[in-house]
Parts: sequence; C-alpha cells; structure tokens
Amino acid sequence: MIPLFYYLALSAIIFSIGLFGFMTQRSGIRMLMCVELMLNAANINLVAFSSYNGDLTGQVFALYSIALAAAEAAIGFAILMSIYRVRDMIDLNKINVLRW
Amino acid sequence: MAIEDMAFLIPVLPALAFVLTFFLGKKLPNGGAIIPIIAIFTSFVISLMITLNLLQNPEQVVSQSYNWFAILNVGVLIDPLAAVMLSMVSFVSLLIHIYAVGYMSHDKAQPRYFAETALFTAAMLGVVLSDNILQFFICWELVGLCSYLLIGFWFEKPSAASAAKKAFLTTRVGDVMFLAGIILLFADIFRIFNGSIPEGVYVLRFDEIFTHIPEIAALNTQIFGFEVSHLTIITLLFFGGAVGKSGQFPLHVWLPDAMEGPTTVSALIHAATMVTAGVYLVARTFPMFLAAPYSLLVVAYLGAFTALFAATMGLVMNDIKRVLAFSTISQLGYMMLGLGMGAVIGVTAVGDSLFHLINHAFFKALLFLCAGSVIHAVGTQDIRQMGGVRKVMPITFATMLIASLALAGFGIPGTSIGVSGFFSKDPIIEAAYLFGESTENWVPYLFSIVAALLTSIYIFRLIFMTFTGKPRTNYGGHESPSVMTVPLMILGVLALVFGALTKTGFGKFLEETFANNFVNMDIHALAEIGKYHLASHGAGSEPLLILWMPVIVAIAGLLISYLIYGMRIIDMSSIVSRKNPIYKLLYNRYYQNAIFTQFLAVKVIYEGLALAGRAIDRGFDWTVYLIGHIFTEASDGLRLLQTGVVQNYATSVVTGVSLLIILVKLILEVF
Repeated sequence: MIPLFYYLALSAIIFSIGLFGFMTQRSGIRMLMCVELMLNAANINLVAFSSYNGDLTGQVFALYSIALAAAEAAIGFAILMSIYRVRDMIDLNKINVLRW
Repeated sequence: MAIEDMAFLIPVLPALAFVLTFFLGKKLPNGGAIIPIIAIFTSFVISLMITLNLLQNPEQVVSQSYNWFAILNVGVLIDPLAAVMLSMVSFVSLLIHIYAVGYMSHDKAQPRYFAETALFTAAMLGVVLSDNILQFFICWELVGLCSYLLIGFWFEKPSAASAAKKAFLTTRVGDVMFLAGIILLFADIFRIFNGSIPEGVYVLRFDEIFTHIPEIAALNTQIFGFEVSHLTIITLLFFGGAVGKSGQFPLHVWLPDAMEGPTTVSALIHAATMVTAGVYLVARTFPMFLAAPYSLLVVAYLGAFTALFAATMGLVMNDIKRVLAFSTISQLGYMMLGLGMGAVIGVTAVGDSLFHLINHAFFKALLFLCAGSVIHAVGTQDIRQMGGVRKVMPITFATMLIASLALAGFGIPGTSIGVSGFFSKDPIIEAAYLFGESTENWVPYLFSIVAALLTSIYIFRLIFMTFTGKPRTNYGGHESPSVMTVPLMILGVLALVFGALTKTGFGKFLEETFANNFVNMDIHALAEIGKYHLASHGAGSEPLLILWMPVIVAIAGLLISYLIYGMRIIDMSSIVSRKNPIYKLLYNRYYQNAIFTQFLAVKVIYEGLALAGRAIDRGFDWTVYLIGHIFTEASDGLRLLQTGVVQNYATSVVTGVSLLIILVKLILEVF
C-alpha cells in the first residue's frame, strides 16, 4: 500500500503548481484552469485521508467537490466567453471598468 | 333606555353630522343644513332632559367612565355645571344653524360651512361633558382647529386667511400653557401615588384630581426666591389656556380679527362655542383655583382689567362686528372677574359667572345675528355708512335693541324687573364691591363700574349710528327672511326674560355641582388652603347707592350716547379725529397689534429666535458634515487598496494564510 505521505506530497505539488499559475498567468482561462488544479489537489487530500482512515465520508465529499467544480467551471467559462465577445481579449487585469 | 345612557350621544351626533354633511351635503338642498340641525336639535333635547332631571334630583349626576388605556379614561360627566352649559351651547348653536340657512344661502361652499360648524359644536359639547382633563384638552384643541377653519372660511380673502392663522397661533400660546399645566398636574399626582397607581384609578379624572388638591397644594417650588405652591402654578397655567381661548388681555388680539369669518361663525365663536370654553375651564377646575393661593386674585385682576381695556376700544370702532367683538372681550372679562370673586364669595362665584355666561350667550348671539341681518341687507359693515336701518328692518331693530339693553344691564335692583344682563352683571359687580370692602382693594370694583358705563355708551352708539337718523349712504336692503328673523325673536325673548326667570334658582343649582358630586368638597377648607378669607355675609346687603350704581351708569351711558349720536347735540368731530392722541391710541387698539407684529414677530421671533435657531442649526450642520467628511476622506484613501487586479487579491490571501499558519505553528511550539 502506498504510504499517505506520497499522496500528500503529490497534492502539495499540484496545489503549488496551481497557485503559481494563478498568480502569474494573465489569461482568464489559464487562471481558471489553475484554480481547478488547486481544487483537485484538495480532492486528492480528501480521498487519501478517507482511504487511509477507512471512512467513506471523505470520498463522498470529494464527489460533491468535483460536481461543484464542474458547475463553477461552466459558469466561469461562460462569463469569460461573454467578456471575450465584448472585449476581444480575456486579460483579467484589464477588465477593470468597475474599479475606482 | 334611560336618558343618562344617551348622554354620550350629545357630542357624537353633531360629529356624525359633520361627516354626513361633508360627504352628502352637495346632494341635499341648502348644503345639507338639515343634518346638523337635526343632530344638534337631538343633542339639545337630550341635554335639556338631563338638565331638567338634575333640577329635580340634583344628586343624579351622569358620570360614566371607560378605560381608554392604562391609567387614562374617556368618560361623560354631566353635573349641573355641565348640564346648563350643554343646554346653552346646543340651543344657541341650533338657532345659529337655522339662521345660517338663510344667511349662507348665497354661498357656494355651504356643505363645508355646515360640516365645520357641526364639528365645532361637537367639539365644544365634548369639552363641556368631559370627565377628565385630557379628554377636555383634546376637545379643546378640536375647538381651536374648527375656529381656524371657520374664521378662514373665505380663505381666498387674504385677510381671512391671516386672521385664521392669527387666531390659531394666539390661542396656541394659551394651549401650550394649558398642556404644560396638565403635564405638571399629572406628574404631581403620580408623585403623590409614589408611582404606583391602583387598579381602576384614572388619574386625570376631575374627581380624582379634586381629592388630591390638599396634597398638590402642599408641594412647593422655589421660583425667584419665592415659595410657590404647585397648585398655584398649575392653576395659573390652566388660566393661561383660558386667557388664550377666552380672549383675555394680552391674548385677546385674535378675537376682533376673527370677524373675517361669516357673521354666523362670529356668533358661534362669541356666544356659544369657543370663547366660553376658557371660562368653563376655570369654572370646572374651580376647586383647584379656590385652594391655590393668589390664583383667583390673578383671575380677578386680569378679568377686571380686560373688561375695562376692551370696552375703551369698543368705543371707537366703526365696524359693527368689531364693536361687538370688543364687547365680547369685555364681557368675558366680567365672567373672569366673577370667577375671581370666588376669593370672597366662594362657590357662589361660579354661579354668578356662569349665569352671566349663559345670559351673555343669548344676547351676544342675538347681537351678532342682528348685525349679520343688517350686513346681509345693507351690504357693508361700516356703521358710518348706515343710519336709519330701523325703518327698513323693524324686527332686527327691535331684537337688537333688546340685546343692547341686556348687554348694558337695565333693570330695577331688588325687583324681578330687568333684562337678563342686569341680573347676571349686577352680582359680579356687587361681589367686586364686597371684595373691595373685605380687602380694601377697590381696583376690580372701579374697573367693572367704569367698564359698565363704557359698555352702555358703545352699544348705544352702535344702535344710534346704525338704526336711527337718515341713511348716510344709498343702500338698498329689506328685512331678512323668516328663517333668519325667527331665531332672532326666540333669542330676543330669552335675552329679555331668561335672567328674571332664573335669577334665584340658577346660582343655587350650580352650587349643587360642588356640593353633591365630588367627594370631600369642603369649600371653606379649600379656601383656607388657598388663604382666601370668604366674606361672612353674601352679596346684596350693600348700601342702596351701590345696588343702583350699575343701573345708574348704564342710564348715564345711554344718555351720553343719545346726546352725541342720537341728537347730535355734542359735536364730536374735534375729538374723533386722527389728531387726538387718545382717539388714535384707542382706534389703533393701543398699538398692540403693532407691538405684536413689529416687536414680537419681527424683533423677538424673527431676528432673535429665528436667527439664534439658525446659528444653532449651523452648529449641528457643521458637526454632521464633519463626521461625514471624516468618512469620505478616509474611504477616499482606503479604496486605493481595491486594485481590481485578481492576482493582488490572491497574493494577499496566500500571504495571509501563510502568516496564519506560521503563527499557529509558533504558538503551538511555544506552548
């Protein structure tokens, strides 16, 4: 059986990649993908702990989380699509009409 | 159903008539005048039946109370005092309503007129039968509102609108004092109960108030270094309300201007409804006044002064209604003087004063309705443009003459021959004599005698100028229709005989008010609290000359008027001119209007209070603006943190979470 540590290490690496991408990328779609990465890092944690403890609650939780992530992604992409139609770009730093 | 159970209908019926006339009046003939007439007639019948019942069984006082909320109640109290007032108010109001059908027949706003007068009557009836001071005050304010509406009935005339405003504001000064008195009274009773009122005790009921008179009188406050009894303060505040409503000096200024309304409204205000409310307030709370040191003296002096003061102005007015207005103020002064004489004659004073009030209501309503009849026919209010109206309007002339005789007080002392004003004014003047005898202070007596002389002069000046001689201008005119003359004749008969018929019974009946109904009403004990020395013998035992004095001055006044205005033997043109300073002073009403507008309104209120208010307002504004400014400035700086760049937010989140984790870790390490 693979030790828990490996799972946690994998999760940490994926989370860091996601965070790094989120902080550095400008394209909205890439940022959204990075958010998905961070989310899934957390999912890995949930499933790993669940399996390690022999308790199914964590896995059920992960399923919920995936479903929510799908919904969130759908909405996020839809918003980005509309922005693209209006502005011809999806650079989130330039979408600032509501700023002071 | 006993008649007592219908007592509450007395004010309710006219109030209903107000609603009905207001909404349905347009569809009925004469602006729906029939509705208030029927309602007030029913009220009159109920009042009269209760009065007659009380005459036979003085102890069967109608007294009903219903819980309103907490320690306050609504209720009906009809004792002899209230009963005679109710009968008089509803009766005079009824006649004025009937008369108004003729008088207002050319007016387009008839429904509004009849609705408002019905409400006016309802409010006054409500004042009279209130059994607690709060309900009294509410109806009192309603009377004030109706007077405003009715004085400003022809509101498209600027003078009427401003007269209405003036009446409202002037009486408001008194009303505020009245309210302050009620609040103080409430606080004192609350203190006497130590804050815990037993179940079923209504603190502002008159009988409840009267049982606490000794305790309230014992409470003292320091004012300018003098020990003043709370009861004195409360009663003087009440009297302040009465001064406003009853047009006593210095708040009488609204009454002459109230002539801007229809003449029938003037008759209502001056005879039946509004101005008598002040006198009634003092009469109603008379036990309090009797137990309050100095209060009755203030009432007496101010009343006597007003009687004389107003009479002097009545001498020179040229507007027929203005003369009558000053006459009303003067007669109200007599009523107040009569009440103030309680200082020597105890509760008899209430009987004397109310007797004059009732008689005055009859002859003053008659005078105003006659004046209205003349104005209706001649089309002017200036008596200099009249003259010879007697030939055109014989009935009006006859009734007006009766009313004038009643006002001047003609009669033979010691007999039952005389007009009503004679029997009621004489006891007041005699009481003033008694007061002078026992206190060596003759001012009230002198004032009242001189005022009686002036009364006779001004009213016969009015009669001679209006009705005798030749017409001074070319007016048309005809006798008024019978709907107007019949009320005149009814009132004329009453002005002639009412005094003689009731002169002995009336006072006795009213004294029952304080003998039967209220607990522990020992008049002598109350007067002792108030430090008044009641005279041992009643009025009527004065020297013969004193008894005849009022009649002598009345006849003298008639003769003087006759010589000047009837025969024109004495040429007045040198005196009646703008050059004569005294005439000018009187004609300009002692410049009181000027003082009030120029000095009080402009200097004190506008330049003093308003400007001070503006400064204070600015101060508040500045504070409010400062607080607002701090927050705008602060947020102006802080909003720069919101860059709108998502990465910045993410950075702060990550930094924050990282710091938090480090912190938690550190804490766990340390402990």
